[in-house]
Amino acid sequence: MKWHKAMAVIAVLCLGLFGGYATPDNQAVAAAAAEEKITVLNPLGTPPPIKLKQMAPRLDTLEGKTIYLVDDGFIGGDNLLYEIQDWFKANYPRTTTIFKRKGGGGFDSPDPELWAEMEEKADGIIIALGH
Amino acid sequence: MNIPSVPIVLSEFYEQEVEKARNDGLPGLRTQWIRGPVWAKTRDELRRDVINGKNPITGQPVMKEIVEKFTKPLTEEERQTGEIKRTRGPDTFTDTAENLHKMFLDKRYTDFLPIVLPTPERVADMLKGTSHDPDETVGKMSPTQTGTYFEDWTYTVRDVAVNAVMAGCRPEYFPLLLAVASTGKEAISVSDNSFVGALVINGTIRDEIGLNYKVGAMGPYAHANTTIGRAWSLMSINLGNGGKVGTTYMGVVGNPMNLINIVIAENEEESPWEPFSVRKGFRKGENVVSLFEGWGVLSAANWKAASWGAEMNYPRIIKEIFDQQGFLFGACAVLSPPIAQFVKNAGYETVEEFEKYLEPAPQFPMGKMAPPKAKPESGAQAKAAAKTEMPPMMGGYSNSAIIVTGGTNNNYYSVGGLRYGRSVKIDDWR
Repeated sequence: MKWHKAMAVIAVLCLGLFGGYATPDNQAVAAAAAEEKITVLNPLGTPPPIKLKQMAPRLDTLEGKTIYLVDDGFIGGDNLLYEIQDWFKANYPRTTTIFKRKGGGGFDSPDPELWAEMEEKADGIIIALGH
Repeated sequence: MNIPSVPIVLSEFYEQEVEKARNDGLPGLRTQWIRGPVWAKTRDELRRDVINGKNPITGQPVMKEIVEKFTKPLTEEERQTGEIKRTRGPDTFTDTAENLHKMFLDKRYTDFLPIVLPTPERVADMLKGTSHDPDETVGKMSPTQTGTYFEDWTYTVRDVAVNAVMAGCRPEYFPLLLAVASTGKEAISVSDNSFVGALVINGTIRDEIGLNYKVGAMGPYAHANTTIGRAWSLMSINLGNGGKVGTTYMGVVGNPMNLINIVIAENEEESPWEPFSVRKGFRKGENVVSLFEGWGVLSAANWKAASWGAEMNYPRIIKEIFDQQGFLFGACAVLSPPIAQFVKNAGYETVEEFEKYLEPAPQFPMGKMAPPKAKPESGAQAKAAAKTEMPPMMGGYSNSAIIVTGGTNNNYYSVGGLRYGRSVKIDDWR
């Protein structure tokens, strides 16, 4: 194992001779470089403006009103809406609730037929499920 | 429609949906937050956790809040209309290199690894890789399915160059990156699926820019593969506003492949079939990049069907794996040249013939949702029903893809979920 020790001594000597080599001059250069200010470009894309939309006026009461319960097709959303329907029956017996499964081919796709029906008949809409 | 509405959303999506409602122009949208998950719960459980439960954000009873959201008059803020203009901030930043690195990290302009600072000189060098005007608009990108759910951010040739510099790309890679950017496809999807993006590159550009398509083809073992994949993720973060946990990133367990994505240069020279791009209608030798998204791929040896033997029936094994893994978001096999040759020798002269063999029994057609089910009963019956019902099919075997890459030093290959999106010409961006 003696040669291992000899190699270790040589390595330490090499580190001492070359690894820590630094003069006051190149230290100053490094410090100046670290303080030097540079300019870089913004990497972001550009977001669009926000167009504020008018929210629909609220109802004065739910009594006697028709609330559509719209299932967008996400798994379990229908069971949740059935439970909401039961809650309204128990707590707001004069409120009509109508369950509908939204068509349109995707969770967030419009369903023009249902939209038209609700435009005509709905006083309020609960839509589930946003995940 | 001018009808008061209350969307119901899981509280885990609070930050995301508040931001989205604001961006959609409805900062006062009266969303009802509920405790999740809903999927897989019985009606008894839903009644306990949601109907008789509390909003996890406000601590108030859910149903009381729903009634109030219909009946409480609109506030002044909720009545506001007009337009709010936004900018991305200053065009440049000036500071020491150390501070700029810290700022890019703090502002989440990076993937958390050190970047190359995009100085004007470096960006100018990158722009030499294309003849397109730096101010030309390349496209729009969002955190998922650009043009649908989230707002789209726009970007120029210069913006793409900035991100290419940050990723460490060379100017000769730039046309490929511009081609990818022109599609608007994000590498990092918001989806809770923890998707990864994948690129398949065909044509002479593979050798021209040093893409690796032999041993280690899908890994970070060549400068071009690694930095191009990284640049795509940085573009998603900075040009498409993606990858922000809680708002524009919701992958449940995340995906380590998002760092450099899956960049596949096809090994056209050793493939027994036509290149992928040719099968999509492009000329052989034409420089084309094809974009995919999905859960990613892993070694076929992961599946029991891929048991070892002195003689192997690879077509049957691949079919068994495909049948096991499902096709909800596409199925993909990345075959090494020896495996592809085995499949061809088994009688599949073309990839199309092999894909036909892999085709399963028809499921729900793409785009159509499962039919509504009858109102189930509470309790055990509902639980049983929940277990047997499958999510709506959103794809099919038309989403399958066979790609050939890698070395010839053993019979390994990978399989997984990747859905093909589209292919674009790279040379249009030179």
